Amino acid sequence: MSARLRKGGLPYFLLLPGLAWLFVFFAIPLFIMLLESLKSGTIDTGFTLTWEFSNYTDALSDYNEQFIRSFEYAGIATMLGILIGYPLAYVIAFRGGKYRNALLLLVIVPFFVTYLIRTLSWETILSDDGVVVSFLQTIGLVSEDGRLLDTTVSVVAGITYNFLPFMILPLYASLERIDHRLLEAGYDLYGRRRDVFLRVTLPLSMPGLVAGTLLMFIPAAGDFINAELLGTPNQFMIGNVIQSRYLEVADYPTAAALSFLLMAFMLIIVVIWARIAGTEALLGTEGETR
Amino acid sequence: MTPTDDELERHFERLLRDPLTRRRLMKRGAAGALSVSALAYLAACGTDDPGGGGGGGSSTEQKAIAKGEIGDSLYVANWPAYIDEDRDTLKTFQKKYGAEVKYVEEINDNNEFFGKVRQQYDRGDSGGRDMHVVTDWMAARMMRLGYVEKFDRSAMPNFEKNLIPSLKSPPFDPKRDFTAPWQSGLTGIIYRKDKVKSEPKTVDALFDPDYKGKVTMLTEMRDTVGVVAASMGADPEKASVDEFMAAIDKVGEASQSGQIRTFTGNEYIKDLPKGDSWVILGWSGDAVQLKADNPNIEFVVPESGSHLWTDNMQIPVGAPEAFTAEKFIDYVYDPEVQAPIAAYVNYITPVAGVKEVLVKEDPKLANNQLIFPDDAFLENTFIFRGLDPEEEAELDDAFQQVIGA
Repeated sequence: MSARLRKGGLPYFLLLPGLAWLFVFFAIPLFIMLLESLKSGTIDTGFTLTWEFSNYTDALSDYNEQFIRSFEYAGIATMLGILIGYPLAYVIAFRGGKYRNALLLLVIVPFFVTYLIRTLSWETILSDDGVVVSFLQTIGLVSEDGRLLDTTVSVVAGITYNFLPFMILPLYASLERIDHRLLEAGYDLYGRRRDVFLRVTLPLSMPGLVAGTLLMFIPAAGDFINAELLGTPNQFMIGNVIQSRYLEVADYPTAAALSFLLMAFMLIIVVIWARIAGTEALLGTEGETR
Repeated sequence: MTPTDDELERHFERLLRDPLTRRRLMKRGAAGALSVSALAYLAACGTDDPGGGGGGGSSTEQKAIAKGEIGDSLYVANWPAYIDEDRDTLKTFQKKYGAEVKYVEEINDNNEFFGKVRQQYDRGDSGGRDMHVVTDWMAARMMRLGYVEKFDRSAMPNFEKNLIPSLKSPPFDPKRDFTAPWQSGLTGIIYRKDKVKSEPKTVDALFDPDYKGKVTMLTEMRDTVGVVAASMGADPEKASVDEFMAAIDKVGEASQSGQIRTFTGNEYIKDLPKGDSWVILGWSGDAVQLKADNPNIEFVVPESGSHLWTDNMQIPVGAPEAFTAEKFIDYVYDPEVQAPIAAYVNYITPVAGVKEVLVKEDPKLANNQLIFPDDAFLENTFIFRGLDPEEEAELDDAFQQVIGA
């Protein structure tokens, strides 16, 4: 872009649709929700703005269990996502050859089916009288009266499954970009495979890893479908609470306060993660500059 | 769960059904599976007292719907698959009165529907709706908030004549000026004959350690709490908040311990045939449908009593065609019109004379106690007492905590 255009208003002009969209559909609703979270009242008397900051402390003390559980499940699922996703993305990027695109397509194909339907399928697959459970029972991994569906295992497995592509795709993108000559240089300098991986490949794939963890962790922590369909009240996450506070109990202030708390915690976690992983990795500039 | 989720879930269920079942479904109409699960969504409930002011006051002040002309169209909001499959009822109405019925199946859950319409109704805007169908306690709340029109009973001769006596005077609307029953149903125990050791005649079976993890209860507070409280010796028609709380505690402990697997809306209709649950709390109309698909499924009224609930037609304030809606309500109270609806939905019809019509066509159906219960059968049922707003909030809150939120 020429300097003249850059100096002029064009960039701002181009930002306008996006900003307008954000303002109308994000900033304004967020503000309304903030006001909602500080109201008090009931559905019959109506809600009035009383600057009820105790909504936040009450919400936190009543539902800290579900908050902790959400981050715990999302954390475990993200770890599993790395364990499953990294080798997979690595193989596709480095060993995929001519099948690369086909393999990548296979990662995405499940997304052609609605999220809900996919989760419901797991409900059937893991069913008490289903094949999976009876097989695991014969080999002794599940006790005779044990089950898989409606347990912590099924919920975490469901979350991992549903958000895995969000981990694989950015990982693949950053692995695929790595210049093979850098690896060759590593070997030329008598680096062992392990050293080359740890000192060259892994650092260069950090932007993908960081993006993947965030893309997987954030929606996973706010998810409620997996806990709802594959779990029981003992597995409910904070998303379930917000859903039910809003739609079932019509306790809008608590639901709004919980949503804000969830956002705040996410923000804190992202900031801490950015500190650890480095902001260059977070912004994806590291891979590009080298 | 959002309505879209429910729709998807129902589609999915259809996909899962085996071909044998599907044949029967095709015979019954496009999608039996659809109807079963949808019907289940009928959230149950009891009655609700309008309380001191609100509805009670408005019944004397509010003017009844004025007589007028039949309009060209009528917008009816109802629960999914809660009318005869091919909707001949609606076509005949159009032929007879000239109004085309826009029948929208937009209600999946009382609370959810309320959340959706609250702001419109609050402004006196019905959102184009001329009629909606909600369960007793929600109907009472709509009255309390002044969201619904008062009927002109003199314009409704069929309703006057054919409403069954037991439903004529509920505590929340003693003169039936604001509500007209659409269908009623029972909440009781549904179980798998091939899985249980003996017929679960009492609610204690739901707490039997042998069935640990194979029990589900309902997310509708009045269904679960009412039935459990009754089994603990309380009378839900006049129990104290403490007695209901005791029932909530008992349910909570059983949920914590894993005795109760989970709490469901209509989802139990897929868990039960799959074998994920064996002994559950469920609704009578579903039981009739489930049994038709799987003879191992049975419904039983627990010894301590079943919860009897009713879904009601109401005309929201601001309805563009209130007079036509009134005519429509009266129209479905004609036994000949009601018969195909009753035959399809399998709940308890509030219209007298339907059994006589149906006995000629389908005697088996007409003799099903779950569809046409006799007085002796209804003896062992209760209606959940009216709760004032504070009591309702307290119980709702405690129950929501138990069911996980």
